[in-house]
Formats: sequence, structure tokens, C-alpha cells
Amino acid sequence: MALTGKNKDRVQRGGMVLGVALVLGWCLLPVVWIISLSFKSQAAVTNGSPGFFPSSGGGAGWDNYRDLLFDDQYAQFRRSILNSIGISLIATILSVAIATLAAYAIARLDFKGKKFVLTTALVIAMFPVVSLVGPLFDMWRTIGLYDTWPGLIIPYMSFTLPLAIWTLSAFFREIPWEMEQAAQVDGATQWQAFRKVIVPLAAPGVFTAAILTFFFAWNDFVFGISLTSTEAARPIPASLSFFVGNDPFNRPASLLAAGAVVATVPIVILVLFFQRKIVAGLTAGAVKG
Amino acid sequence: MSTTTAPKASRSQEPRRKAAVTDRERTENSLARKLVAPAIVLMLFVTAFPMLRALYLSLFSYSLTAPDDREFVGLSNYWTALSDELFWRDTGNTVMIMLVTVFFELVIGFAFALVMHRLIFARGLVRTSILIPYGVITVVSGFAWQFAFSNSNGFVNGWLPFIGDDFNWFAQYDSSMIAIMASEIWKTTPFMSLLLLAGLAQVSEDMIEAAKVDGATWFQRLYKVILPNMKAAIMVAVLFRALDAYRIFDNIFVMTAGANGTESISFLTYRQVIEQFQLGIGSALSVLLFLSVLVVAFVIVKVFRVNLADARQES
Amino acid sequence: MRVRPTAGPRQLAVATSLVLAGTLLTACGGGDGKPTLNWYINPDGQDTLNQLAEDCSTDDYDIEIQLLPASATDQRTQLARRLAAGDSSTDLMSLDPVFVPEFASAGWLEPFTGDLADEVLDDDVLEGAAQTVQWDDQVVAAPQWSNTQVLWYRKSLAEAAGLDMNQPVTWGEVIDAAASQDATVGVQANKYEAYVVWINALIQGAGGNILDPDTVEDGRDAKVTIDSDAGKAAAAVIQKLADSGAAQPDFTTSNEGTSLGQMYPDDGPGEFMTNWTFVYQNYAGAVGEAGGPPDEAALDDLGWARYPQTVAGEDSAPPIGGITIGVGAFSDNVDFAQEAAVCITSSEAQTQLAVNEGLMPSRQSVYDSDALKEAYPADLLELWRDSVDTGGPRPKSAYYSQISSAIQSRWHPPTSVDPNTTPKRSAEFLRQILSGEALL
Repeated sequence: MALTGKNKDRVQRGGMVLGVALVLGWCLLPVVWIISLSFKSQAAVTNGSPGFFPSSGGGAGWDNYRDLLFDDQYAQFRRSILNSIGISLIATILSVAIATLAAYAIARLDFKGKKFVLTTALVIAMFPVVSLVGPLFDMWRTIGLYDTWPGLIIPYMSFTLPLAIWTLSAFFREIPWEMEQAAQVDGATQWQAFRKVIVPLAAPGVFTAAILTFFFAWNDFVFGISLTSTEAARPIPASLSFFVGNDPFNRPASLLAAGAVVATVPIVILVLFFQRKIVAGLTAGAVKG
Repeated sequence: MSTTTAPKASRSQEPRRKAAVTDRERTENSLARKLVAPAIVLMLFVTAFPMLRALYLSLFSYSLTAPDDREFVGLSNYWTALSDELFWRDTGNTVMIMLVTVFFELVIGFAFALVMHRLIFARGLVRTSILIPYGVITVVSGFAWQFAFSNSNGFVNGWLPFIGDDFNWFAQYDSSMIAIMASEIWKTTPFMSLLLLAGLAQVSEDMIEAAKVDGATWFQRLYKVILPNMKAAIMVAVLFRALDAYRIFDNIFVMTAGANGTESISFLTYRQVIEQFQLGIGSALSVLLFLSVLVVAFVIVKVFRVNLADARQES
Repeated sequence: MRVRPTAGPRQLAVATSLVLAGTLLTACGGGDGKPTLNWYINPDGQDTLNQLAEDCSTDDYDIEIQLLPASATDQRTQLARRLAAGDSSTDLMSLDPVFVPEFASAGWLEPFTGDLADEVLDDDVLEGAAQTVQWDDQVVAAPQWSNTQVLWYRKSLAEAAGLDMNQPVTWGEVIDAAASQDATVGVQANKYEAYVVWINALIQGAGGNILDPDTVEDGRDAKVTIDSDAGKAAAAVIQKLADSGAAQPDFTTSNEGTSLGQMYPDDGPGEFMTNWTFVYQNYAGAVGEAGGPPDEAALDDLGWARYPQTVAGEDSAPPIGGITIGVGAFSDNVDFAQEAAVCITSSEAQTQLAVNEGLMPSRQSVYDSDALKEAYPADLLELWRDSVDTGGPRPKSAYYSQISSAIQSRWHPPTSVDPNTTPKRSAEFLRQILSGEALL
């Protein structure tokens, strides 16, 4: 059946709207659900309160959030937010700094062992982290890194380096390196040229790598539960999985949902502000890497 | 692995560099080594070194709760693991999760990528939304879906026809696996769709137009023009996601803790090492897990002829 | 020592410290030379335990509470990992009695000696509790409270079903009675520790044991006795409940909390439920609230009876649980910690836990105190004490955690339990696990 041009346009536009609706529904429904759940009252949850939205009388208003952020009982969770932010930030900064050096060398310099670096990075990106927690736990308890911030920062750095190196070297390849040579002609050493000319140009790529690295560290669970045991270093995902409410036998679903929302807010903020960069970084790192 | 190639920038300089003095070459080499060294040292310190230690420990019968009873047992830990039906059941689970989730992610992710590729309005909104599942912590995704499937506090039973309100999704294997895979697929499909979107962008519009002029239907254009031209991107996406899915742990830990036989191979290893403190057999499992990831990677690269260099458009 | 961010975007740091000002302040405290004893507690009775920590702090030391996860298995994992790491900041820990042998034989618990030993374990301590804190002829922990399970039910439901609750009842009778009234039987059958509690009680109720009690302390060499008539009788009860209409919808994932709401449903006759002592306080404190009895009359309808028999005519073996306080062997302040342990397990402490939290004492004198008689019905107190005194412990083995996991892996889901195969298969598996020939 042939469609006239106008009708065809309309069908295409309708299909587009439907497609967009499906994508948005897919992405946002579970998020809306967890927000909705966080407004169910704890009593309603204990007695069972099926349904997407809080039942009438089963709503909690902001109570769950208030408890979570101010009640003494949940000081551990608040501490884990601090841990997660601190550990993820430090790991991100250090990892990106080190990756920047390596990526510069890979994108810019010709040297023996480049293949080795790239291959190592590739293998580590595929590494099953669970197979490392045993020996790492054993090493950490001997060195005294168990249940400390550095005890998590170090593995996070190692496992985010491949992603950071790929993303950065992909970005660095796009940089007009002639400018560096121009600077060198003007008498700057290679190191000065790198620092004064290239670093500012590379900043957007570095920033993208930083966001992706932060996502990884923020999301990690295996190291978080295996290499910590108290609030001294326990990050948010581990803290959520051990979450205890007033009823010691059941997970306090609605309170946990509130915690989950709190843990997701920083990510949503990052995504909102840096959407374009993240998309560019993901595709650059993975497809071109 | 020979799939990585030197970046363009440096290759274009090669002829000039050949002629240049070796002094410069030496400086460059030594600078490069200095720049790369911290990354290499750090990556190996946390992976190669522990892996070697795991290899060593796997030859002992060694429990942390009875450290004095440590005893050299040769390869018998490997024999115990490989002859145990639990090991094979969990490997089977893991492979199934990998195949099913990657399949659905590929199909749904491709549809999403098509939508995003053709999108003329609400571009920012869609891309922002699609990044949210990617950014959401896996543990949070696990909880969200566990509660959604819960018969006491969830909504799935109420929304699905033919499913009783009392149905307990976590009471048996099949439905537990569906719940686990739902969470996994939800969280990672956006990642897949972004990789595929990048692949779609590489398909030349001219070729599609030409096919259109030749009277090819939409499906013909898809199968004859679009898919073959983005094969590299698809294969890279599949490789990455498959290896990621093979390591599934977080969702299972949160949603079922391995009940009803829903354990993955990662979860089994974790339990031996971290819960039971059986460092000997646990290390043997760690080594086996690592080897099996290599096998999976090898199979995907060989069977699908994934060429990472292709993906970089450098071949 | 805590590590602080050394660098980072200032804005984020400011935002963080604003949000977390309170947390930061507490994190920065201390450091004036007065030692802090860390007390790792399980989540039952947090309010009173916090109070005890405050009350038992002295001029020499402060006690600080650290909360452990909710499940017994996770609690063990967290503590054991710290202790395996030789951690000096693990001073006091609330231990489920089943894990005492494992921790003691690994050398992680500092034994109480001399006068202290006499103080934490005198004649006043109930026999069931006293058993759990001794290992290798040493007192390795101090009993703090003792838990046990009884059969909770709605009197109106039992009456409608024609079940005489003044006589000992069997599991079979309870299940039939519930099924006849479209009511349910609440148990703990998720894949976790309390399911083993149920299985163990069923087996002991039929006169058997998971492991031979004479060899159980031999660790790997213990004799497996679960494949017996008692094991089959236990499996038969589980199978009967699974096949009857009395199983609750979340039977295979049920825990101590899931069945609480079934006692006073919006409509329906209520339930029979085996559960720990906290249940009484739980309902008495929730009159008129969601999930609790709608009014005092409904609370009066709550009945309790001794744990059901597995086999008619044979005394049941009510489960025993509770918490004992262990002192970490690597603690920098072992003497202070033991002194504190005595304080937090004293009669006064046990009274507070019993009255405020429904966590029953491990001392006879506390059961006899006026405070408890005021807080609980006399017949309920007697039932509990009786149950603790005559209850059945779980296998006292340094390998208990593996034993428990092995049982769980062969007996879960409860809907698959079959008297003809399950005890036999679990016995074979247990033997393999104990000899290190199979994966868990």
C-alpha cells in the first residue's frame, strides 16, 4: 500500500514519538518506581503494600528521607556517603592523572612496549574482579590496608585505568599536535610543550574520562563488600546491601529506596550537566579504543 | 593480542622519524616509558601479583579459620572443583545469563539506537534519560527490581495479566532468573545502545539512499546495508557486554543471594573465599574463573572475527 | 587513621561537608588518650544496647557501638574477616552462640579467666546458655541474652479448628488445624540460618541429631547422623506443610518478619507461627497500629504454647538462640574489654533488654525479678524459661558455618524436601563438605 508523502511523514513522526516514549519509559520507569517506593511508609511496607504508588494512608511523606539523613540510627549510611564521595573522587583524580600520562605516550610517542601497555589494559578491563578479592583480602590484611580508604582507592585506580587510558588516547589523537611542535620550535622542551600547550587542549577529554572513572568507582560492589567491614571505609553500595532498619528481619524496602535515591542523585546531576561529554567518552573509549 | 594498532598520529610520522637521529628516538622511548610506568605498575600490582598469589594458594588446603592446618595438596583443589556438579551448574547459569542478556540487550539496544539516530526532537532529553540506567548503581537496580517483583510490595504482579497477586517470583529458579536478568538487561541496554549509535553514525547515508533509490525495502536496507556496515561496532559491543555479563555478581547478591540455584560462577568464588574463608579451593576457583573469561573472550573474538582495529576504522 | 581527600573540586568538598556536617563532627572526635572500645552489635534491641554502651562506659574507656548486618551469616562474615586480619580495634562483639566454637578454635576470642570467668558464668546462668560459651574447658564468651522459639497462635483460630492447646500439639495437628480454617502456619524457610534452626529443632524433636553429639566437637571427624528416622520425620513435616494449603505465599523466602503480619490480617482467621520471644513485645506494642492487633481484645486472643512436637508423644526440642559477648583476642584493651563485657551482661543489663526489647535473659534471677513479672504474663515467662532449659542446641562445631550452609543447600527450597531422599542426600553432602571434597 502506497502512502502519500504527507501521510508517510505523519506515520514516521508517530513512530518516532512512540519510540521516544518507549525509550523514556524503559529508562525512567524503574527510577520513578524507586522514588515512589521511597514515599511508602515503613509500616505499610512491613504489612505488605503492593502497587506502584503508595496506597492511601500508606504514604510517608518525607519521613524516610528525614530518618535517613538525620536519625542517629542511620549515621552509618551517612558515613558511607562520605566514604563513597571521598574514595571515588580520590581514585578518579589519581587514576585520570596517571592515565593522562600513559595516554599521551600512547597517542603521541612511538616506543617499544606500546602494544604491551594496550594489551595489558585490555586484559585488565576484562578481568573478573571476583577472582582477585581473595588474594587481595589476604594481601591487604597483611599490609594493613584492609578496611581503609587506600584499600579501596588502589583497586579502583587499577580497574579504571584501562577505561581512562582508552578514552584519553582516543581524545588525544584528535588534538592538533602541530601546536606542540610549534612550541618546541620556540624553544620549549617536550615536557613544557606538553604542559603549557597540550594540557589545556586535552582538558575536555580528561574531564570525560574523569566522569566515567567516577561512575565506575561509585558503582563498584565486589571490592566494597570484600575489602571493608566497618563504616571506616564502607561505600554506599555495600552499605545499602547491609542496610538494617527497625525490623531486623526484613529489608526496610521504603527506607532502602530512599537510600537508593540519595545514592543516585549525584549520578543524575552529573548526567544532566555532562550528557554530551559522557556519550562522546563512552563511544570514543569503547568503539575506538 | 594483536588487535590493537598504533594510532594514526605517530604512524604518519614514521618515515620522518626513521631518518631522524637515534638520540631523539632514545629520548622519546625513555620519556614514554616514564609516562607509562605508573599506570603499568599500578595495573599489575592489583591484578598480576594477586593472580600469581592465587595460583600459589590454590595448591594448598588452606582455611583462614584454621590457618595452622595449611597443607600442600597439589592440583587436588582443581580436581575437586572441576568434578563438582555445583561448579558446572553455576558455569551453566553464568553462560545462560550471558547469552540471554546480551541477546536482549542487542535487540532492544539496536532499536533504541535507531530511535536516537533518527531523532529530530527531544535529543537531549532522550540521551540524558538513556544515561540514567547506565549511571545507576547496579545494587540499586537490583533492589529496584527485587522490590518491583516482590509480591508484598511490588507492582509487577498487579500489572502482568495471568500472574496471581500472590505469585512469589523468588520462590523458584525460572522466575528468579527472569527477575535477575530483567535488572541486568535494564541497566546495561543503554550502554549497548550508545555503542550501537556510534556504529550507526559510521554507516554512510549515501549508501542507504542509493539502496532506497534501487527500491530496497526498509528490511532489505537494514540487512543488506546497515548491519553489514556496522558489524565491527556490533561485535565490539557484544564482546564488551558478554564479558561483563559473564562476571555477573551484584544483582545475584542483592536479589537472591544464590537461592534456588541462581548462583553465578563469580558468586560461587566469592562465597568460598570471602564467606567460607576457604582460601585454597577459593583460589583454585579464582584461577578457573579467570581462565574461563579468557576462553569466552577467545571464542567471541574467533567465532565472530571481532577485529578491534576494524572498530577503530584503522584497517 | 582516616584518610581525607587530599585534593578535589572545592565546591564538591563544601557541599559534602554541608550535607554531612553531623557525621564529620563525630568522625573527628576522640584522640584525647582515653581508649574507645568498639562493640559490634547485631541489630536486635539497638536502643537498649546503645544505652548499655553509654552506661557501661567509665572514666577509663568509652564504649562505641558498631552495627553489624541483619543476617547471622553476614554478621559472622564481617567479624571473622576483621579478626582474620588481626584487627586490634575489635574489642567487644555480640556473637550468635553457634559461631562461638569456630571463633574460639581459631584463637580469636580472649578467654575469661579466674574471677572474671566465675562472674560471667556462675550458677545463676541457665544451662542452655552456659553450654554455648564454653570451648576446650575455657569460658570464651559471656552470655547476654537467650532466645527461644514457642508456638504463637490466635486462640480463636485454635478453638475454631478444635485444637486443644492445653496439651502438647504436634506439627501435623497444627498444619491440619490451620488448613481446615483456611489459615496459615508461619515458619522460617528462606535459605538462611533460621531455616537450619527449624530443621535442627524438628530433627531433635524426633530424638535425632544432624551430627552425632558425642563426636560433634571433633570438627572434620564428626559423625553425620542426619540420615535417620528422625531426619525423615523432620523432612516429612516440611513436606506436609509445603503440600498443604497452610503454607504462606512467601513460604520459601519466609523469615522471622514476613509472617508477623499474618497474625492479624485485615480479614481472615490469623495464623499459627513458630517464632522467637520478641513476638510478644512486637504485638503488645502495636495495638491499633497497622500489622498489630486492632484492639486489646485481639491482643488477648494471642496464644502461646510450647514448640510443637515432631513425633506425637515425644517432647519437642525448642530452638535456642541469643547472643553472647566475646572479647577480641587482638584487642589493645583486653582487660578493659572484659570488664566492659561483665557490665553489659550483668543482671541489670539483662533486665533492661528483656523489658525494653523482648530479648530474654540467660540468668535465672532475672526471670524471677519483679521487673519481668510486671512486663510479661507469668505463664509466658515460665514457658520461655522452660524452653531455654530443655531446648536443643545446634551442632557445636568449629565448622558450624559450613555445616549450616550444607544443610541449607540440600534442604532448600522447602518445597523440594522429600523424606525418602533429602536426609540421605544431605548426609552424603555433609560428609563430603566436612572432608573438603565438595564445593559449598
